[in-house]
Amino acid sequence: MKLYAYCLAEDLNSLNDATSGISGAPVRLLKIDNLAVLISDVDVVPVTREHALTHAAVVRSILDQTTPLPFRFGTLVTEQQLRNYISTHKPALENKLAHVRGCVEMSVKIIWELPNGKQTDAVNGERQGAGTTFLVEKRREILGDEQRSKQAAEISDWLRAEVTGLTRDEQITLRPSERLLLSAAHLIERVSIGQYRVQLAKARKNRPDLHFLVSGPWPPYSFANIELEFPTQFGVS
Amino acid sequence: MSDFDQIVVGEEWENTDLSLLETLDHVLNRGLVIAGEITIAVADIDLIFVGLNVMVSSVETAQEVLRKRASNE
Repeated sequence: MKLYAYCLAEDLNSLNDATSGISGAPVRLLKIDNLAVLISDVDVVPVTREHALTHAAVVRSILDQTTPLPFRFGTLVTEQQLRNYISTHKPALENKLAHVRGCVEMSVKIIWELPNGKQTDAVNGERQGAGTTFLVEKRREILGDEQRSKQAAEISDWLRAEVTGLTRDEQITLRPSERLLLSAAHLIERVSIGQYRVQLAKARKNRPDLHFLVSGPWPPYSFANIELEFPTQFGVS
Repeated sequence: MSDFDQIVVGEEWENTDLSLLETLDHVLNRGLVIAGEITIAVADIDLIFVGLNVMVSSVETAQEVLRKRASNE
């Protein structure tokens, strides 16, 4: 039997209720030194929506008590592997726990409606040769790409300025996909959540050209990673 | 499921789907990684939501983990 790990936390001695975990397995605390790891005894973790949501629910279940470091979905280990991991990374984990202590994560995604220029180009293309049309389209793509990158960087700066003083840390990804201009995670002290919401609501009113998706509070998923020995593994940076 | 306090998106997206997508985006793409110890099964994948880039990103991450896992075995 292996252990499915949900998150680790400090100052946690008991769970509030009998939380049900992956595959209905009970969630229990495994104390390793001064840290507590929320685990379930399971052997296999199929990738299903229900299991991913269960992972999130278990991590969230202790958010009122403490600020945990969530493990990524699918972390299945032996107890010895878990103990080895914590003992070899203990200073980094403690530093990370101190960094997120008393905080939660707020998520902001900004969606930009792309200008619809393709139709005009296609009409013009009918009067041009295929090669010219291709080159014109390529040039348009390159110029548009550069312009969008520049705009994403500007909006990132703008967003940072709008919430300045309210964030302990931030993780910004510019243009993670075609329609997403940026994805931001803000580490906010719990006492500042109200002020953060107000500030963000004011900021949104000033940018009616942008669509915002704001969610939270979350456990600090985006601020949990410690430096890995092999930073590129699993695409973690 | 997460508590969403403010959502402003295209009208065609329902809040329930967004809640789900945001949750999956967090648990699949972020969090502590014990290098080499992600073990997820391929069966019963039902996470794909066509047209929602956040989810596509999450599925790609899951597939990448599986590929890395397979290449290490």
